[in-house]
Order: sequence, then structure tokens, then C-alpha cells
Amino acid sequence: MKRGSVSAIINLVEPWEALEPLTTSRPVGTLPFGGRYRLLDFPLSSVINAGIQNVMVTTPRSGRSVADHLRSGRDWNLDTIRGGLFTYPYNDLKLVSPEKKATLIHHYYDNTILFLKRSHSEYSVVMSTRNVGNIDLKALIRYHEERDNPVTTVYKSVDPQTLTPANTILQLTDKGMATAVVPAGKAKLKATTKKAAKNMDIYLMSTVDLIDILQEANRRGDLISLEELMKQAVIQHNANAFEYTGFYANIHDLASYYAANMAILDEDNFRALFYSSRRIYTKVKNEIPTFFAQGSQFRASLCGTGGYIEGQVDHSVIFRNVLINRGSQIKDAVIMQGTRIGAGTKIEHVVIDKNVVIGPNLVLKGRPDQPLVISKGQHIFQQAEVVSSD
Amino acid sequence: MNNEMLGIILAGGQGTRLGKLTKDTAKPAVPFGGRYRIIDFTLSNCANSGVNTVGVITQYQPLELNAHIGNGASWGLDDLNGGVTVLQPYSSTEGEKFFEGTAHAIYQNIEYIDQQNPKYLLVLSGDHIYKMDYDAMLAYHKAKKASLTVGVIPVTKQEARRFGMMNTDETDRIIEFEEKPEHPKSDKASMGIYIFNWPTLRDYLVKSYATDKSLEDFGKNVIPSYLAHNESVYAYAFKGYWRDVGTIQSLWQANMEFLSPHNRLNIGDRNWRIYSKAQVLPPMFLTDTSQVNNSMIVDSCYVAGEVDHSILSQRVSVGMGSRVVDSMVMPGATIGKNVVIDHALIGEEAVIGDDAIVQGTPTEIAVVGYNEVVGVQQP
Repeated sequence: MKRGSVSAIINLVEPWEALEPLTTSRPVGTLPFGGRYRLLDFPLSSVINAGIQNVMVTTPRSGRSVADHLRSGRDWNLDTIRGGLFTYPYNDLKLVSPEKKATLIHHYYDNTILFLKRSHSEYSVVMSTRNVGNIDLKALIRYHEERDNPVTTVYKSVDPQTLTPANTILQLTDKGMATAVVPAGKAKLKATTKKAAKNMDIYLMSTVDLIDILQEANRRGDLISLEELMKQAVIQHNANAFEYTGFYANIHDLASYYAANMAILDEDNFRALFYSSRRIYTKVKNEIPTFFAQGSQFRASLCGTGGYIEGQVDHSVIFRNVLINRGSQIKDAVIMQGTRIGAGTKIEHVVIDKNVVIGPNLVLKGRPDQPLVISKGQHIFQQAEVVSSD
Repeated sequence: MNNEMLGIILAGGQGTRLGKLTKDTAKPAVPFGGRYRIIDFTLSNCANSGVNTVGVITQYQPLELNAHIGNGASWGLDDLNGGVTVLQPYSSTEGEKFFEGTAHAIYQNIEYIDQQNPKYLLVLSGDHIYKMDYDAMLAYHKAKKASLTVGVIPVTKQEARRFGMMNTDETDRIIEFEEKPEHPKSDKASMGIYIFNWPTLRDYLVKSYATDKSLEDFGKNVIPSYLAHNESVYAYAFKGYWRDVGTIQSLWQANMEFLSPHNRLNIGDRNWRIYSKAQVLPPMFLTDTSQVNNSMIVDSCYVAGEVDHSILSQRVSVGMGSRVVDSMVMPGATIGKNVVIDHALIGEEAVIGDDAIVQGTPTEIAVVGYNEVVGVQQP
């Protein structure tokens, strides 16, 4: 692909309420995932692996965690002489005063339009971060070029039973064309339906068309999300629907976040996501090797570097720099960077955010369908401080 | 000149005593401690000491080393006013700039050093494992108003026979130098770390190469010549952990020491971090049949067998039923099923077939070379 022919917008303005407390101080896109990644690494890696060098990341608020993670974009090879990484903060209108909001009418999409115009790209792809996968965007572009509709969308074929009412699906014609993006709850799927086209919130179109859509929205005075505009475009123009067949996880609430982490402990899923020809990039860090002490047991689990493991870990995702003391038992857990687990503590079906300290001889227990979540930076030393997930 | 002191890392030696491991690569590029290469320690020391301009002199098999160092960004040495320059021999009207000894290597790169125009020249080896503040050594060099300061480490009488030994007076001024003495008079062994006043060293080298070309090696020639000419040469005593990893045995030993949480090197100290070229790799995956004790493992390892008191580097896989004991496995090595690896160094990308046995002893470490294939039946 010729350099600069495609630009990408990774949109971090996504529903986050159901992921609290993990999303209290970060957008969904910087949720830690899989031992050393952030959700945003997956779409960003897809973009990089397709040779796309014009990338805009839109964030709901200040985007501190986003800026800290991406910095110059060097770790994704985006500190290039042409194009590069652009961040566009403060897109969450709930945080904007009425006066400020009034000035945004007819200008809400100005930054995005400017980015697209300056990219001089032929195509643009809009992606979200709550759909974890490893998609071949070059194949998507080829698919788009071979078909007539102005927009191409992406779906994963899933069992309708796995959908929540708020998950969106593509309505497909017999010929596989998407005519609308609708919430599963309103889709009136027949009870006998075996497959539904789960929408992956990826939209590809010509940059000229995308600029038109945004300028039109400005003219109307719209203040709606980019994703909403994309869904409208699908209804208006109909869309080609590209089926993604790789590992997929949709993260929309705590249970699905937890389940997605557990899913990559399956070796086939792990290999599909991380060992394809398309690598997953993330911010590199200089951690020391992880030390497994005498008497430790670490099984069926992932671990980042910088760890110190003395206890027992089974079927868990352990991020970088985690300390697990002697005699502790960790099972079916997600433990994020910098957390320390005291000696003799038992943990099962739990998600522990970054830099948490759990004292010795405590019991933290959630349920497989409803993990107990310990939010960032908490220090818990008494059993009474443990709030159960029930 | 933007930096007072220029660092030069001598990374051109063949490292013949590392046998198979340096057949196709330079010694400083040999992996160490799971996620490092030997030169990372010296490069990180430079970065942490504020020595922001560093020339790395290469000669023997430099490709892997070049790829590792890149533009120096991994060490934060992609400085606007300095940075890392890999110096390879080149040809000129005076002939080709290959070199024989350590001092000759500096002479052959005189143009680069002149370009930097430093006041002080810090000369380092690329094959030592240690953490050292070169800025503190420079302060000592200035305080002593020395012409040359030599980094020294205390050694036993036994060890002294392998080193260049510095005999000093009560002010730590070096009065005599003995190469590998049978009966050492002091315990101060040269670490091969020098701070020179560059203009003085430059004069010595230029004169020598215009006449008898005698100043080939720092230990054998330059220090004796400095002492003979009554230059002020001082010994700077380093008290920290320091290992020369120039032999199979010492490389294995230093790796085993690295495994100990109580190792004096203190690799986890965040105030003096050791950086390496960071690679983007998935996290390590240990299966439900793994058994890991007293070991260090890094990104992208896959372990289904037993690992005991060993180090696995990036992308190493250990198959089911295999046992890796008292060993260091370098990046990308694949260990099949039901393999025994005991007291061994396994080279990069080596392949150990199912049921193979690689058995060394504490005094005779087994070595499998880079890309070597052991115990795989050829169809």
C-alpha cells in the first residue's frame, strides 16, 4: 500500500459506565488487558500492521492515561516524518458547560475534518477499542475496493445467546449487505437463529465521503458521537459487511472484561491473538525478568515481566511488576501492574486494578459471572474492608 | 564540544574464550540474564552517569551488536547533542582502520574523537556485568588532577594472576603496573576502565604511531609508558559487584549469581536501571503442566515442563516433560519434550529435539551454539 493512502481514527469516546470502577479514571481504551496491553493497543496495532501512519486518537477527557501510554507514538513506529499520531482530547460533552456547548454547534467536528483533510489519504477507517481482535485492515480495504457500497463495516458471527440487549448487531440482507446497526434487544432475532452479526464498530470509507458526513453534521449542528454518525451512514447508504473470523472479545461490562481476560488463557485463543503474522504492539518498558521463587506454583497463566512470584497462581492473568507472597492462592484472577498480594491470602474470581496492596491472610472471592473488582490504588488489610461482589 | 567526557566502549574483541557462543557474534552482544545483552550494563551505566555521547568501537562480527544498539534510543541515548555512534573500521588514504589492541582501536578512531573534542575520554569494555557511576569516577579524576585514572577492583592473590595489577602509594597513585603477576604486591586489579585527559593521550598515540607504533594496548603499553614518563596515574577503587564474563564458566557463573534475589548487582534497583533494546512480545505463558522454581522467565516464553534454578530468555519454549536445571537459555531457543538440560548455556535459536540430553557439570558447562540443532532426527 502506498504510504499515506489510509488514515485511521481510533475513537475512545465509548460507553464506560458498566465498567466502573475500572473506568472511573481512565477511558475504556486504556483498560489494561492480557498481561501487558491496553485495549487501545489492539486497534492501534491493526492500524500499524496495515502500514497506516496517519492516526488520530480521540479521547473523552484530558486523556492523561492515553498520552502517558502513547507518548510520541514511537513504540508503534508513529514518530514518523509524515503523518504520525494526533490526539484530540475533551470529546465528552457531559463535561462541557452549556455556554461552551453552544460554541461547539457547527464546529464540533472541525478537528476531525482538519485531520482528515491534512492526511491527504484516500481511505479512512474509524475504530473503537472495546472490540478486542487482531484484524487485517489490508484485507478490509481490498474487500471495500471490490464492492460498490460507500461504507464497509465489520462483524463477528456469534451465538445470539452471548449478546446482551445493548450489544449492537448488523442487519444483513441475503446478499450479505448491512442495512442497519441495531441493538440486539431491538433486533427481533428469531429464537431459532444460530448466528448473529455482532457489530465490531469498525467503519471504512473514502476520506472524501467521511469529510462530507462530518461537514454535513456540522451544518446541521449535530453534537453526536462519531460512532452514531457512522451508524447513520450505514442506514443511509447501506454497507458492505466484512466478516472477521479471528479471536474476538467484546468488552462492555465488568463480566465481559473479566471473561475476555480468561478467554486468552485458552492456548488457542492466546496464539490466535498474539502469534499471528500481525503483532500486537504496546508501550515498551524496561522491567527485569520475573522471578519464580522456590515453592511457587504458576500454572495455566500469563505473566508480565518484573514480577516476583512466591505463592500459587492458577488460571490467571498477571500483569507486570506484581508481587505474590508466599502461601497465597490466586485462582481465576486478573491482577494488574504493580499490585502486591500478601502472604496466605486467597483470591478467586477477582479483578484487581493497578497498584493495589492486599494484606496477608485475607479472602477475596467473586463469582465467575460477577467478578469482585478492587479499584486502583486501594490498600486492604482487614477482611471487613473487602466488599463482596454480591 | 557539548559533553565534557566522551565514552568509548571497546566492543571489537572476538571473545574466543566464549567458544561457540561468539562464533557468529561479538562478545558484547551475547545475551545475559534473560533479557539483556552484556553491553547493556556498560551502555546503561553511561546513560545513568550522564555520559550522553558514546562511541562503540566494533570490528569482529558486528551485525547483531549494531542491530541491538540502533540509534541508542533504548538507553535514552538518542540525545539531541550526542548519542551513540557505532564505529566500524573503514578505509582511508592512510589505509584500512582495522585495529589490533585497545589503544590502537582508539588511535584508529581519532577522527571521531576529535569531532567530539572531549576534555576527558572514558574508555570502557563491553563485556563486564556491573553498575558503576562514571561521573563519580570523573570527580575523583579531577580531584586527583590525574592524567589517567584506572578503575580497579579488589581481587584475591589467586585471581590476581589473571589480571593487570596496580601497585599504588598511600595516595592511590599508581607507581607500578604488573601484568598477570605470579606474586602480586597488591589486590588492585584493573577493570579495563580508564579516564584519560584526551589531549595528553592523543599526543602519546600520535607520537607513537608516527614512530615505533608501540602503544598498541592500554594495559601492556600505554600504562607503562605513562608511568615511565611520570604522568599522574591514579587508581579508582570500585567496591560494587563486578564480573568479567569472558569465559564460558564465568558467563554461566554470573548468570547463576544473577538468579539470586540477594545478588549484590541489585538488578531491580530503580535508581540505576539497566536498559536493553525493548522488544514487543506477548507475556510469558506457563501451562498447567509447568513447574518453575528459583528461576527467571521473561516475555514470550512458553513453559510446559520443569524449570529449576535457570534463566529463560525471550521466546524460549520448554516442552512437556522436559527439565531445565542450573542453566541459561538464550533467546528463541526451542526445547522439545522430555529433554534434560543441566548445567548448560543454550545459544540463541538453538533447537533441542525431543528426548535429548544436554548434560554439563559445575566445572564443565555444556554449550549449545547459536542455531545449533541437537537430537533432531533428520528425515
